[in-house]
Amino acid sequence: MKENGPAHLLSIGTIAVAFFLFASFLLLPLNFASVLEAWEKKVQIILYLKDGIGEERIPPLTKELRMIEGIHEVRYVSQRTAKESFERDLAGYGGVLKGLKEGIFPASFEITVQERFRTPERIRTLAARLDGIKEVEEVQYGGVWLERLSLILYTLRWGVWVLGGVLVAIIVSVTANTVRLTLYNKRGEIEILKLVGATDAFVKLPFYLEGGLQGLVGAGGSILLLLVLFHVFSSKVAPYLSFYFGQLRLSFLPPHMIAWILGIGVAAGLLGGLFSLRKAGGI
Amino acid sequence: MIQFFRVYKTYPGNIRALANISFKIEQGEFVFVTGPSGAGKTTLLKLIIRAERPDQGEIVVNKRNVARLRHSQIPALRREIGFVFQDFKLLNHKTVYDNIALVLRAVGHNKREIPKRVRQVLRVVGLEDWVLKQLPLKLSGGEQQRVAIARALLNTPAIILADEPTGNLDPDLTMEIMDLLEKVNALGTTVVVATHNTGLVAQYNKRTIPLYRGRVAA
Repeated sequence: MKENGPAHLLSIGTIAVAFFLFASFLLLPLNFASVLEAWEKKVQIILYLKDGIGEERIPPLTKELRMIEGIHEVRYVSQRTAKESFERDLAGYGGVLKGLKEGIFPASFEITVQERFRTPERIRTLAARLDGIKEVEEVQYGGVWLERLSLILYTLRWGVWVLGGVLVAIIVSVTANTVRLTLYNKRGEIEILKLVGATDAFVKLPFYLEGGLQGLVGAGGSILLLLVLFHVFSSKVAPYLSFYFGQLRLSFLPPHMIAWILGIGVAAGLLGGLFSLRKAGGI
Repeated sequence: MIQFFRVYKTYPGNIRALANISFKIEQGEFVFVTGPSGAGKTTLLKLIIRAERPDQGEIVVNKRNVARLRHSQIPALRREIGFVFQDFKLLNHKTVYDNIALVLRAVGHNKREIPKRVRQVLRVVGLEDWVLKQLPLKLSGGEQQRVAIARALLNTPAIILADEPTGNLDPDLTMEIMDLLEKVNALGTTVVVATHNTGLVAQYNKRTIPLYRGRVAA
């Protein structure tokens, strides 16, 4: 490899960039899932009740709600409590709020959902079911946001494989071209080796090793780079984001994914070596 | 022993290189293959080492039917044949030692014996140890061809094929190299020299296979 140093460095660099993109895209859904989880924990369903529901209906309604599968906790917020809470939240505007009647604040149930029900699909189903209760005027939950987030996650999860396929093709092509360059530089040596009776394995093995090693070094380099950037991000940037998303549990690629990336690197490199040797024909 | 029986070879573009070639070279013989450029001399040598495959006919080399040899059997055939080129085909960025040791490594020679074997074979071709660390281009043409012959002799081949081995050498060095090939032949190795140099052939009383436009000239 030393005889063709600059070409190899360029090739390893290109492979590293390609794998960096791939690994980053793997990292995104992994951590988007944790953002989604943080959001899911905050998810509440609020049932606004119709006007004129008597206080005597609240206990049986509460009991009924608690019986529904997936509901963890039910808290009744009366019109008075709602007004008090509103006034507390907007205490600075005291004068403006004066004269507001209790009646304009609807009574509601604040419902927290069991952990296993905190998925966009299940929350949506539950909300639809709650909407069917005749005393309920309106159901509110962060569904739109959750669903958008979930769609992004879904797209990322599939996108990463499409991108992965494209990047592997790039890596195979880059390695094949570098190995071909080495083949060209060493054609004299190869010719002599073949003429003196060197076996195919003896002649070809160094080229396979070269391809595989390039893939391994490129993939390893990309993971190291990603690890450094991940640490910078999680220590400097993530604290600011937790303001919006709650406490984020950011995680790096698990060992089995790293092993896969390195494996794909080696395999793509070997494939590149194989293609270049196939193209070289006579060798 | 090398035997050609009605061998034909045509290159793409319908370029006929050899047609109806038949001959037999016995073990230990010294034979010239002669003819002008384009007569088919190099193709003939390439067929012997299966660098080319005949379109038709049979080629037997050391009891092997070369025309029907499987790809995996080619290395074994080539280890029994040494090849010498007009342009020496030495690796100019490697020392003489590395040029020869590379071949020994390629054929799986015992690593510890490589230095000894390199010196031994260089002495056979009349070169001293000082050349070991030299790059080929620092040597004279004659010395370079001696290194190339040393490399060809490494596997103690039964046959040496030489394609215009003196084509790049002056008359004195030509004689040196031809004497060396005769010496190798005297040790029992079959030597086949392809040359267009009729003057050279005339100086040696050896059998000749004359080629002209791909056929054995009458």
